[in-house]
Amino acid sequence: MGGKVTCTLGEVKQRADFIIYWGGNPAECHPRHFTKYTLMQKSKFLPKGRKDRTMVLVDIRETKSVKASDIFLQVRPGKDFELITILRALVKEQHVTDAQIAETGITREVLDDLVARMKAAKFGCMFFGMGLSMTRGKHMNSAALLTLAAEMNAFTKFVAMPMRGHGNVTGADVIMRWQTGFPFGISFNRGYPRYNPGEFSTVDVLVRGDCDAAFIIGADPGGTMPQPAIDHLKRIPTIVLDPHITHTSKLARVHITTAAQGIAAPGTAYRMDEIPMPLKPALKSPYPSDEEVVRRINEAIAKKPFWIPEGSMPQMLTEQV
Amino acid sequence: MSATAAKTETPLQVIDNATCTFCGCVCDDIQLHHDEMRIHKAKKACVLGTAWFLNHTAEKKYPAALIDGKEATVDEAIEETARLLHEADMPLIYGMSNTTCEAQKECAAMADSLGGLLDSHTSL
Repeated sequence: MGGKVTCTLGEVKQRADFIIYWGGNPAECHPRHFTKYTLMQKSKFLPKGRKDRTMVLVDIRETKSVKASDIFLQVRPGKDFELITILRALVKEQHVTDAQIAETGITREVLDDLVARMKAAKFGCMFFGMGLSMTRGKHMNSAALLTLAAEMNAFTKFVAMPMRGHGNVTGADVIMRWQTGFPFGISFNRGYPRYNPGEFSTVDVLVRGDCDAAFIIGADPGGTMPQPAIDHLKRIPTIVLDPHITHTSKLARVHITTAAQGIAAPGTAYRMDEIPMPLKPALKSPYPSDEEVVRRINEAIAKKPFWIPEGSMPQMLTEQV
Repeated sequence: MSATAAKTETPLQVIDNATCTFCGCVCDDIQLHHDEMRIHKAKKACVLGTAWFLNHTAEKKYPAALIDGKEATVDEAIEETARLLHEADMPLIYGMSNTTCEAQKECAAMADSLGGLLDSHTSL
């Protein structure tokens, strides 16, 4: 689980009586999250369902999810890290000045009330979205929230879980952790995996112009990335694997059409709580699956000399002893 | 008109407990009604899931592969991809969100064998 204090959505459904959504809009981005897992379900431990649960929403603006919430905290944009740090201090009854609280755009009364409710909860769960993890502070925001969840366990059961979008991104994390030991932002250029977000993460690599070829699978950076990154993708040979001709395909040197996962291609996808789900494709696609195409590319690469100048694979440690 | 009439005559095949991979919820209780060409109904799916299932068909809408904007076979495209990636000093393997774990594992192997960069949609 990568060190997170977390649980499965099944546990949330059965037990969580205090839910915080931070920087996410599940009403529009994960429409069945409320009804299937977090708010509406009744259980042995929460027989009255919605009435037994409290939902807090933290966001910079009023979204459609506000209607579903009991408490809405409108945090000043870019002040999430400060707010989490203040909450961590208040939970431990440490001194926080009025000026520090005023900076976040929320009053002391509201925060004191929130902390009291968090401590009184039987099972608290914090879901955080891209509004937290992709704004100022980035992964440090997520780390702060996960720390708050861990520290809350001195008082009551508390967990945190990222709200993952886009199908199988959770699977990508899990597979990379399993294969390399790191979840994303990995470089193999020394022959072994190294992890350094900021240096090896895609936006940074593209904006600096560090890579001289790009292989894009199941994503459309041409539609989501900043312009300097897209410009670099245009300059270098880009290869795209996608069921559709995407923005990125139009600027790519090679595009290969593949079958859409879960609709025409079988396999496994991970749910946001890291539970693997088998896919049940309904249609037979005229295109090959991603898996087949990538495997065949790997076979073609394996026929060429290895990338180290001598053209030999690095020796295993056991062989050197 | 005749095409739609033919479709209604043949009963649709039903798949129970199908998995939707549009968002991170990965709901696994969807009932799909399909005729092997397209999915006509996705019961229990949300707005986003319904659009996801109904917008994909088994039709051959796009060319199998494109090299420099020209149509090519998959075999040619695979060879060209292997050549471009092998020639590069620092290739980047990126994305892996709308694909299966099996394909993601192959991508990790590719980055390893190329000595390149590996990153997912997480770091946008």
